[in-house]
Amino acid sequence: MVTMSETENEFNRRDFLKGGSLATLMAMLGGVRLFAETPALPPAKPVGPKVKCGVIGLGAWGREILATLGRLPQAQVAAICDTYASALRRSADAAPGAIPTEDYRTILDNNDIKAVVVATPTHQHKEIVLAALRAGKHVYCEAPLADTLEEARDIALAAKAAPRQVFQAGLQMRSDPQRHFLLPFIRSGALGKPAMVRAQWHKKQSWRSASPNPEREKALNWRLSQATSLGLIGEIGLHQLDQAGWFLDAQALSVAGFGAITCWKDGRDVPDTIQAVVEYPKGVRMIYDCTLANSFDSDYEVYYGGDAAVMIRENKAWMFKEVDSPLLGWEVYARKDAFYKETGIALVANATKLAAQGAKPAEEPAAIPPLYSALEAFLRNTNELNAAIEDFISVFGSDDTAALAEHIAKIHRSPAAGYLEGFQATVTAIKANDAITTGERIVLKPEWYDLS
Amino acid sequence: MNTTKLQITIRFTALLLLSTSASLCAADAPMRLNPVPGGQSKVRIEGTSSIHDWQVESRLIGGYLEVGPGFPVEPGQAVKPGKVDAKVDVFIPVRQLKSVEKDGRPYSDSMDDIMYGKLLEPANPRILYHLDELVLKEAPQGTNAAYVFDATGQLVVAGVTNKMSMPVEITPLGNKRVKITGHTAVKMTDFAIKPPAPAIALGLIKTGDEVKLIFEWVVGQKAAAAER
Repeated sequence: MVTMSETENEFNRRDFLKGGSLATLMAMLGGVRLFAETPALPPAKPVGPKVKCGVIGLGAWGREILATLGRLPQAQVAAICDTYASALRRSADAAPGAIPTEDYRTILDNNDIKAVVVATPTHQHKEIVLAALRAGKHVYCEAPLADTLEEARDIALAAKAAPRQVFQAGLQMRSDPQRHFLLPFIRSGALGKPAMVRAQWHKKQSWRSASPNPEREKALNWRLSQATSLGLIGEIGLHQLDQAGWFLDAQALSVAGFGAITCWKDGRDVPDTIQAVVEYPKGVRMIYDCTLANSFDSDYEVYYGGDAAVMIRENKAWMFKEVDSPLLGWEVYARKDAFYKETGIALVANATKLAAQGAKPAEEPAAIPPLYSALEAFLRNTNELNAAIEDFISVFGSDDTAALAEHIAKIHRSPAAGYLEGFQATVTAIKANDAITTGERIVLKPEWYDLS
Repeated sequence: MNTTKLQITIRFTALLLLSTSASLCAADAPMRLNPVPGGQSKVRIEGTSSIHDWQVESRLIGGYLEVGPGFPVEPGQAVKPGKVDAKVDVFIPVRQLKSVEKDGRPYSDSMDDIMYGKLLEPANPRILYHLDELVLKEAPQGTNAAYVFDATGQLVVAGVTNKMSMPVEITPLGNKRVKITGHTAVKMTDFAIKPPAPAIALGLIKTGDEVKLIFEWVVGQKAAAAER
């Protein structure tokens, strides 16, 4: 059943399904046609010079970013920054040759460094990001952008005013190839009429880090205080909420929430267990829960429609069909996995290519972490933008700024969250956290999301 | 004629001569036409492979066209067939060439990277063309018709130079703007480029040696291009 009009969707369900079944049929007949339509080109040496980066903020996630940059051939970490000396020492091995500094301005003053990754606590983003943009740096800012609407808006507007610089929000799912494979699947209406979304993130962990003294304890455990933290919904749930709005192609309308400290009664005032209900257009609601008290079933998102449900776990996804749903064709040949009493049809990017290559599930290439894809996109887009500006000026000169702006707007960029996506996800997270802390349902006003 | 009148007459005559001379110089001076921004120019390279045809495009074509008085810069301008006074140097920034689908949507970053590797970027960041001779084949048949020339010049790709000839059409657009269009076929191997053969599971993708270069270049007097 086609439930969304083809005119209101950028993806056409019929074409999508037709392509899928034809693809599988051709794969079964030898796979030649599939390769012809979507050649599996091997990765080539990335274009452009290495991007000299500074990483600001070397907590656990900052060190993960540092390690990931170390695996990216386009990256050269030229400087690392943290206000805590031991964090700098701990990160030194992951960034050989990088200048260590406790003052981020040292990085901004270094003209050789073209890009910065800001991974400090959320409430410290604004000062650093605005200064970095003023210094002409390309900026990758972790999400949420800020812990207040005003600061998030200030960051987004500053990024908007700097079109000659890349600004990327740390919503890494937006760069994940698996999510981009699923996006047309869900938006095309292949699941039937959207019914609801359910998502969770469960882990048994305190979120508290050991610290050598009380001052450091406060700085280190900023996520445990409502004064500096958007809590679980802001630091974790933000990514899953953003994905729901992205896949449904809709801005959230309202959010209601609940929160409690059920397990970790150690003086924190940030709930260790939360639930939220996020309302989208056409009666679709997302039920979300997140806890630090129990790890059962880990994290996933499920999109339910009248014909099928799709479950996404990390980089994998499965479709669960209703018995009365139309036959798509290709699912007959797709790999199936058992889930208790259900059978999940694996949705794997390039699955038909893998099938044509005779690959078994165990031989599938290792999934690329979304953070790797996000940082790779940041570096590639930085090189693309730099080259586009430089080449435009070499051809036309620098007088016609309007033509240059038009040229910049048209350049092809690797998929990544920009300032608008980062801002809007942050707004939803801030309001969801408000709903959780107050226990009230909040109607999300469209003007909160508007940057014009 | 008294001395004062004589002095005025001499000064006037000198001024007139100077003015006429300057005017003649201006008319004879070469006119330099630079690329016009606004996305009106395009270069497209079309090729073949064992799996499907491919194409890459760019909107950036740099360089200049410097023309003498006998060059058609305005519609309907009378020009005699034969060699015309024109200097042309063109460059195409390699990094701005992007693989596209047939409808112009971006195709593949991997293909772009393979192409840049084959074009030896960054050692050779530009494809270059230098005009040696431009000959008008025949006068245009109408006021708005294109002037058809034979262009002989040197094409430099991946650091290798080849002499080539191709027909080009020049259409005056008014306001001292002209559009230059043309196409020609070249072989990758003539530029010491081994046609790409990326490996896939079922074997190698074989890329055809011959590619077609298609260009549309709009230049005008008003835009000032940066000197390099």
